[in-house]
Amino acid sequence: MSDDGSLALLLLGPAGGTGLYWMLYRYYRNTDKSHAFERETKIDAKPVTGTDQKIGENNGTRDRRIAGDNVADFRERVERLPRAGANTGPPPLPRK
Amino acid sequence: MTTPNGPPPLPPQYTGPGSPQDVPPRPGESPIDPATLPGPIREELEAPDPVAIDTSAEELKDGANHCPKCGATDIRHKPGTDVLVCLFCRHEWHGQRVEEEFGFGEGHDTLEGTIVSSGARDIDADTSSLMSFKCTACGAEVTVNTETNMTARCHWCRHVFGVNEQIANGAVPDAVLPFHIKKEDAIERIRQFVGKRRLFALKAFKEQFTPENVSAVYLPYMIVDGKVSVDVKGKGEIKTREYTRGSDNNKKTYYDADVYRVERHVDFTVDDLPLESSKSRGNLDTKANTNNIINTILPFDTKNAVKWNASYLVGVSSEKRDLDVEMLKPRLEDQALSIGRCQVEDSVRQYDRGVRWEQEGLTVHGTRWVAMYLPVWLYSYHEPGRNGGMLHYIAVNGRTGETMGSVPVQQWKLLLAAITVGTFLEGIALWILGSM
Repeated sequence: MSDDGSLALLLLGPAGGTGLYWMLYRYYRNTDKSHAFERETKIDAKPVTGTDQKIGENNGTRDRRIAGDNVADFRERVERLPRAGANTGPPPLPRK
Repeated sequence: MTTPNGPPPLPPQYTGPGSPQDVPPRPGESPIDPATLPGPIREELEAPDPVAIDTSAEELKDGANHCPKCGATDIRHKPGTDVLVCLFCRHEWHGQRVEEEFGFGEGHDTLEGTIVSSGARDIDADTSSLMSFKCTACGAEVTVNTETNMTARCHWCRHVFGVNEQIANGAVPDAVLPFHIKKEDAIERIRQFVGKRRLFALKAFKEQFTPENVSAVYLPYMIVDGKVSVDVKGKGEIKTREYTRGSDNNKKTYYDADVYRVERHVDFTVDDLPLESSKSRGNLDTKANTNNIINTILPFDTKNAVKWNASYLVGVSSEKRDLDVEMLKPRLEDQALSIGRCQVEDSVRQYDRGVRWEQEGLTVHGTRWVAMYLPVWLYSYHEPGRNGGMLHYIAVNGRTGETMGSVPVQQWKLLLAAITVGTFLEGIALWILGSM
């Protein structure tokens, strides 16, 4: 067996113990629960539109997923686009 | 809602759902398969949850209110009064659904600007929460503290009256959703909920557990309809090749992928999104309180809410609203963005290595705000500790019966169980390594 495999097997005990602790803690305290408004609110959506454009390649990576994958983290906020039609204008002049 | 020429708003400054926080797991989802766990733990995990009534199926789909006496739906408005009459059994009672009364159930697609109902208007800081009434029966002066109560009984003649006029202190909402779940039912659900969380529960909690002390309370919410558009931009990757390199003992897996610039746009309407309109209840910091428990029992069948009448609150306490529409707008925008991100998820399934959204934008075309009191059965337990300890809630939705709670844990017991299982697993790991 490779060194990686042995190490993973040795981590089985601490990982299993920690995993069980957190699972039971959450089961009792329910700290991870909240109103799932994304799924439980009545939403009437029009068909999604958009564009997909190939811009490059990421070859020879060891990561299974794209860095910073947040497709399922609906509540993680990212940079806000300026509002449509907003008059952003030039930046304000520095005060004297 | 939008200020076309204004700068983009500041990011919302609060904690809780809608802010950087985990999306809650789906019902029944568990990170560890219960079948692999020791018997007593597995039994607790697999015990049935209190059943929540699906009111959307029972009451919302047919859009009918049933006669509380005979269940018939042949109900008519009695001309000249505010009373409804059942044409089958002649039973009479109050209650006009605000959905039809004020047209809250329609016109989502044509919403423009910010429409605020009279009960949801801004709170006037000068208005006292103490209100004095002259008893209409005996003339005595009776005071109602609208912070916690909306009705009072005259201490001289026992005449009951309530606050029905919409005063500008936020105490009188537009609508109220009456309790459906009875106290005995709520007690039974709380008992069942705690019953499957006893093994590692705090000893003092178990000893003092008296679900009969559950109290009925009307909590203040803003029910929001909205018409919005969400735009998101980011990068997605599609795997083109997977291969391994290295010798037998040092094999490593590598991936090749195409990178795409991904943009999505979705227009949608939101119907009856509930937002806590009490500052303290809206703070969902799970390190400091257990308000997330009360947040979890949302949503309610708000379609069946009736026009405000203080008679619904006789014998039930209530909490006053202390947040205005403007203060809740950042929270609404935050949740609308989350809903938008959820809506576009299916359209990026082809990116099997995931998508990293880098920018998101929101345009709110119109919103409609209605203030409402929603019914909750609340059981609480105060766990002593640092910084005043922690108040643990077990809450039952007064309409659907959905039950959620926070049961304090006996830390040493939980740690002992985790260490025991960890040691057992480590023993197996060492045995496997030793036998190779």
